[in-house]
Amino acid sequence: MSSSVSDRMQARDVPTVRPSDLRQARDLMFEAARSGQRVLLHGAGTAQSWGAPVGDVDVVLDTTGLDQLLAYNPADMTVAVGAGMSLAALQERLDGQRVALDAARIPLGATVGGLLATADGGPLRATYGTLRDLVIGVTVVLADGTVARSGGHVIKNVAGYDLTKLFSGSLGTLGLVAEVVLRLHPLPEATATLAVPCDVAAGFAHATALLACPLEPVALDWHEGRLLIRFEGTRSGVATRVRKAVALAASGEVLEGADETAVWQALAGTVVGGDGDTVLRAGTRPDLLPQLAARLDALTTGPSVKATLTSSVGIGVHTVRLRGGQPAEHAAVLAGWRSEVLAAGGSVTLHQRIPGLDELVGSWGRAPATAPLLRALKKRMDHDERLGPGRFAPWFA
Amino acid sequence: MNAIEHLRDTLRAIVGPAGVISEPTELRTYECDGLAGYRVTPALVVLPSSSAEVAEVVAACHRAQIPFVARGAGTGLSGGALPVADGVVVSLQRMRAVLEVDPTNHRAVVEPGVTNLAISQAASAYDLYYAPDPSSQQVCTIGGNVAENSGGAHCLKYGFTTHHVLALEAVLPDGTLVWLGGDSPEVAGPDLRGLVVGSEGTLAVVTKVVVRLLRKPETVRTLLADFPSIEQAADTVTGIIAAGVVPAAMEIMDQLAIEASEAAVGAGYTLDTPAALVIELDGPADECGELFETVQKICHANGTTKIRIAADDTERARIWTGRKAAFAAMGRISPNYFVQDGVVPRTRLTEALSTIAAMGAEASLRVANVFHAGDGNLHPLVLYDESRGEHDRAEKLSKAIAELCVDLGGSLSGEHGIGTDKACSMPVMFGKEDLATMDRVRRAFDPDGLCNPGKVLPTPRLCGEKPGPYRPHPLEAAGVIERL
Repeated sequence: MSSSVSDRMQARDVPTVRPSDLRQARDLMFEAARSGQRVLLHGAGTAQSWGAPVGDVDVVLDTTGLDQLLAYNPADMTVAVGAGMSLAALQERLDGQRVALDAARIPLGATVGGLLATADGGPLRATYGTLRDLVIGVTVVLADGTVARSGGHVIKNVAGYDLTKLFSGSLGTLGLVAEVVLRLHPLPEATATLAVPCDVAAGFAHATALLACPLEPVALDWHEGRLLIRFEGTRSGVATRVRKAVALAASGEVLEGADETAVWQALAGTVVGGDGDTVLRAGTRPDLLPQLAARLDALTTGPSVKATLTSSVGIGVHTVRLRGGQPAEHAAVLAGWRSEVLAAGGSVTLHQRIPGLDELVGSWGRAPATAPLLRALKKRMDHDERLGPGRFAPWFA
Repeated sequence: MNAIEHLRDTLRAIVGPAGVISEPTELRTYECDGLAGYRVTPALVVLPSSSAEVAEVVAACHRAQIPFVARGAGTGLSGGALPVADGVVVSLQRMRAVLEVDPTNHRAVVEPGVTNLAISQAASAYDLYYAPDPSSQQVCTIGGNVAENSGGAHCLKYGFTTHHVLALEAVLPDGTLVWLGGDSPEVAGPDLRGLVVGSEGTLAVVTKVVVRLLRKPETVRTLLADFPSIEQAADTVTGIIAAGVVPAAMEIMDQLAIEASEAAVGAGYTLDTPAALVIELDGPADECGELFETVQKICHANGTTKIRIAADDTERARIWTGRKAAFAAMGRISPNYFVQDGVVPRTRLTEALSTIAAMGAEASLRVANVFHAGDGNLHPLVLYDESRGEHDRAEKLSKAIAELCVDLGGSLSGEHGIGTDKACSMPVMFGKEDLATMDRVRRAFDPDGLCNPGKVLPTPRLCGEKPGPYRPHPLEAAGVIERL
């Protein structure tokens, strides 16, 4: 876990402000605007290394004081919270229900707002999406102190533009996510995971065969030489589906309870990475997985860098962790693999880096054709370009 | 030569003479969408055949600073495709190819003029389908679905268009052709695809859509349950959700709606029941059967008087015919009607319906109810007789019902959109800063205000100098949320 940005802020003695409600957040953003201060929005700090490094800022706005449970309506299956609340803390408050998101950094304290701003997701993403799909209302504070809401407290709602989507993946550059209304799902009665040992090409072929059947796995991930197939539902329903999946695979181990938890935690461990690791996430057409895995192998034939890849096979979301070796080796793998992904029409977001990587390779690949539009949106939302400056450089300021 | 004549010649050069309509009688075909109360004749209609032609058409409009409105099948119910006088309608009806069905990656690439149902038909050979299913799915286009973020009867479980669109090829208001989104839900940077879905054609003209396809469920189980009151039907819905069951669909019809539907299609609904509830479950066979038992128990616990279970696909189709015919069938029991589309939190359904009934009684007008009960999306139909001078009273009641939904913590619109129809009601739901922020987004895409102007956001020209006073959201009034 790299927290280099936070460390740098501390080292530079950048003052931190910590609002405890929406009014204070608005006042602080307004104050920063009036004095022309550049602001770093900071939740639990679990994703401050995503994207490009933020340049100099004058103040850090710590969102973790915005942690109130504002309204929980179990019968409507909606909950409104301050966006600085950690998702793990929120889950504890819910009764027989959940926010259907299992991003790897949730146990580390990731906040609801941070999870929206990073568009992060875990294996459940294949069925439930990310917070962009689960947030039904949002309140944001723009750089000039404007407080704006969109959506509301009902699941079905098409009134007005959906600012949730604009803020999904914005990495703190368009405004502060202050309050969020979420859609909840029932906790499943039972879960089980079938782990099928295979190489990545066989894993993809098997996943394709499985998805052609109406077995409805909730997650389908390849990790460390195994295809992990997770089912959720009623007790007897899960048992039936696991039985059918075992028959289809002709091999594999059924994991339940602590064993099941452990195998998914190991996957999360790869995604989160450790100190000195480089971690990146890519999105591509799902069937490119075998080719991209082979390319990664070819780029890491040397003895020192070990690449670990995990992929949500059905939706083409891949996370790569590079461990060991020198920054130059990481840079070569990043540049080589990223160009392959971009050439295939995919995207790559850097999540963390080995120290020294930034001197060797850019955090983002070539700018998309939408870069002028992104710049226009940035100008309209944050006219003086004071929020998270440099995060998307060179795509926009 | 005036600006329009000049543009007409430019457009003819782009799409060929047959692709530009400028005859007043022919133009009138395009004067309204499904909300026929609003009519404006455009200056020109242009029918491009490719993404490149759409880009050239939009660029020409941009150069001439002439507004344009994209149009699919014209089935929208909020005046979202209402033309602008002296403007251009860009009809996407010539772009109706299913370009690719990719069973390995569970997706299809289609042009915007393809109908919703045609996608599922093209995917059917692979046991795949496209999940959102608005009632108009036989005719409405995917481009229109993207504009409106359309839902349908099954969106409680499967979500809306935004959950099923991976990428869009779109022409920005200056004529630039871009891709938004990607081959995977994982993309770098802000979710522009998600922003454009549901923007009612005000941010871009969509020229290709990449949709996610789902594996057809193993089983579908459908029942129709009668109840002695709407309240008991609504309580059943709440009970089912509380039991942790997520049905594919839950739809309620009241007696007036049943009467109209039966007169039109005779699907075998009970004529004298005060309420009928359609429940559909789908998924793996064993599980579906198990939960179907649970659902029936909950119906009985809430006093159902009769349960009819669809024995086969034919009978299921019949039950759905009865439900889907309800709107169009209103003509059988009333010469004229308004359709509303407000949403309330599910737990306030009963309160909303009794208030609506009281409002109807006060206005001496009948209100029929057909609604997506699972997600609280009401479709009150205000019945009236134009020849008896009831129009204004009915319109007022209809508007008051939409605003009631906001008062109850809900929304002005669940699926029909704001369009022209509800733009002036937006200040009931959103404050000045909310609307100003949405306008900033719009101007980032369209600084010259050319792309479907006058829709979604209230303007002084449309709504008067003051778009109405801001009223605190009920949750604010209750101290649950803060406006500042």
